Amino acid sequence: MQDTLQTLVGGLSLGAVYALVAMGFSLVYRTMGLVNFAHADIAMIGAYAASTFYLTSRLPFVVAMVLAIVITGAIGLVIERVLRPLENKDFDLMLIGTIGFGIVLQALAIIIWGTTGRAVPSPLESAPLDVLGIRIRTYDLLVMAVAALAVVALAFFLSRTKRGAAMQAVAMDHEAATAVGIDVGRSNALAFAIGAGLAALAGGLVGPMLYVDASLGGALGIKGFAAAMLGGFGSIHGAVVGGVAIGVLDSYAAGHFQGYSVLVTFLVFTIAIMIRPMGIFGERTVSRA
Amino acid sequence: MSRTPRPRVPGTALVAAVALATALTACSAPGESDDDTRSDSGPVKIAVVNARSGQLSSLGDWEHKGAKLAIDEWNKKGGIDGRRIEMKSFDDQGDPTTGTNLARKIDSGNYIAMIGTAESAVTIAMAPVLKQAGIPNITSGQADALVDQKSPFLFLNGPTSTTYDSTLAKHLVQDKGHKKIAMITNNGSFGKGEHDAFAEAAKDLGVTPVTDQVVTTDQKEFSAALTKIRSKKPDVVFIGSEEVEAGLIVKQARDLGITVPFAGAAPQGTPVFIDTAGKKAAEGTIVSSPYLGNDISPAARKFAAAYKAAYGEEAELHGAKAYDGTNILLTALENSDVATGKKLADAIRATTYDGLLGTFEFGADGVGITATTIGVIQDGKLVEQK
Repeated sequence: MQDTLQTLVGGLSLGAVYALVAMGFSLVYRTMGLVNFAHADIAMIGAYAASTFYLTSRLPFVVAMVLAIVITGAIGLVIERVLRPLENKDFDLMLIGTIGFGIVLQALAIIIWGTTGRAVPSPLESAPLDVLGIRIRTYDLLVMAVAALAVVALAFFLSRTKRGAAMQAVAMDHEAATAVGIDVGRSNALAFAIGAGLAALAGGLVGPMLYVDASLGGALGIKGFAAAMLGGFGSIHGAVVGGVAIGVLDSYAAGHFQGYSVLVTFLVFTIAIMIRPMGIFGERTVSRA
Repeated sequence: MSRTPRPRVPGTALVAAVALATALTACSAPGESDDDTRSDSGPVKIAVVNARSGQLSSLGDWEHKGAKLAIDEWNKKGGIDGRRIEMKSFDDQGDPTTGTNLARKIDSGNYIAMIGTAESAVTIAMAPVLKQAGIPNITSGQADALVDQKSPFLFLNGPTSTTYDSTLAKHLVQDKGHKKIAMITNNGSFGKGEHDAFAEAAKDLGVTPVTDQVVTTDQKEFSAALTKIRSKKPDVVFIGSEEVEAGLIVKQARDLGITVPFAGAAPQGTPVFIDTAGKKAAEGTIVSSPYLGNDISPAARKFAAAYKAAYGEEAELHGAKAYDGTNILLTALENSDVATGKKLADAIRATTYDGLLGTFEFGADGVGITATTIGVIQDGKLVEQK
């Protein structure tokens, strides 16, 4: 019982990070109908940027995170601007464009930070909590809290603010949205910037849990993407549920199947997607090609 | 009617492709030709293959620096028989598939020998191609599977996992009296080798591990495996994985309340392991290594000073291994009047070399060092266990 709960705690903290990655994927997909394959590498850049400000510039962790989010947000804007001429013209080329951006970002990371990664010490000094023999890292609690806050903030933004409502309108029908005077380009740019910011949040938070190097995006991206699919691509709630599900599933698979855990995780994922192709909260309303 | 001239088009394309391929393979630089006279004049070409990007790149970087230092020193002394030693670095990204492609490139590029890789899996992937091409290779890998390749062209510049782990098992069981040993290893080539070597050595001493956890090479979260280990209350935990993953395991183990020391082979003695785990978490880690530090011998001090002067950082085991391996290769080249292929392999095997890791005397299996020393991490530094 104790083992089961301890495994759950381990899975939840990484699940929260996967949820953040999945949210970024979903937000861009929701507004543009586009899967941003550079997303995971933006998270990697965010992790590197945050760790650089935190370790090298010796800024407080929170400040480092905010700076990292601003930087990746700007990268998101650049990507959107480059892809904008293709919008509604060549969808496949846009997809390939995002893949290309991912490769460029990885190469950039190697040029800027070198090939050797770095270990980021936890910003929280306090010892892990001990609840009935289950050890809970204080940093894990922080990660889960921040992820929860980000979910609430994003949901609030989309449903309660004018900009958010405009983005939703663009998602539903971009021609009608244009007709009522919504700037589709600006809406897309905003989606890309927020998506990239979420990626940096995930990357920056995961730094002290894992190890920051140019291949970090690969580790986060595939699980984050699976989380978004499992929850239902385009759904923010789905991203959260999917992220946590993948994190916990991964953790238990590691416990029971040891060396074959990745295989088991993706087998379960594949079966789940076969039973429910649109994911848990999936709605196939977005198709803008 | 039905015999249209259309099929001729692929035919022409095929001819063109074959012609192009022939032209490309025949297209070597002037002064070079792909036959056995390749070493008669001009610079002595040596390939250094390592991961220069990805999670294992720190390992590749150290080995690269060690090899380069040795070659630079030889060149400063005038090379071999007045011929310059030319070193070319290749990036295998720590990936076996990339490695096999590089092996072919090294063959077609007329390289006389190869130093690297630091990765057992990549070395094993490259071994058949290099064996067929007759290119001697001195690797920093340590998995016993390297010896199982039975390639007369494959040499190890350090001990095998069996040597590392039987020394370690003896220390843990006989010297320390530990009976409850837990194991955590990864399912990669290195981790599998460590797993088998340590389990075997422990069995010979009459100890069965209380738990045997296997993780994947790209796993980052270990609470499931570590929780199981914690519940068995071991005296010591054997760890068989590369630097970064081992660091993460130890860091997370401490957070879970596992306070017993970890024990392992070469990766656990490196700064990357200590950085990743955190100085406090790594404290007390027991390490089996042929090179415990830069102050062990006068030769090590001299090497460390040269390394520091060249790269501005502290030398460590992997750099020392590559330095030894490269020196052995260059000595063999000098002794054999720059032989190639089988002759060069025989010359390497015949070379007795007093190196940083000990005295190399190669057996038929390509292993030159068969002993390690036990060290322990104190205040973030690896020191000899007295």
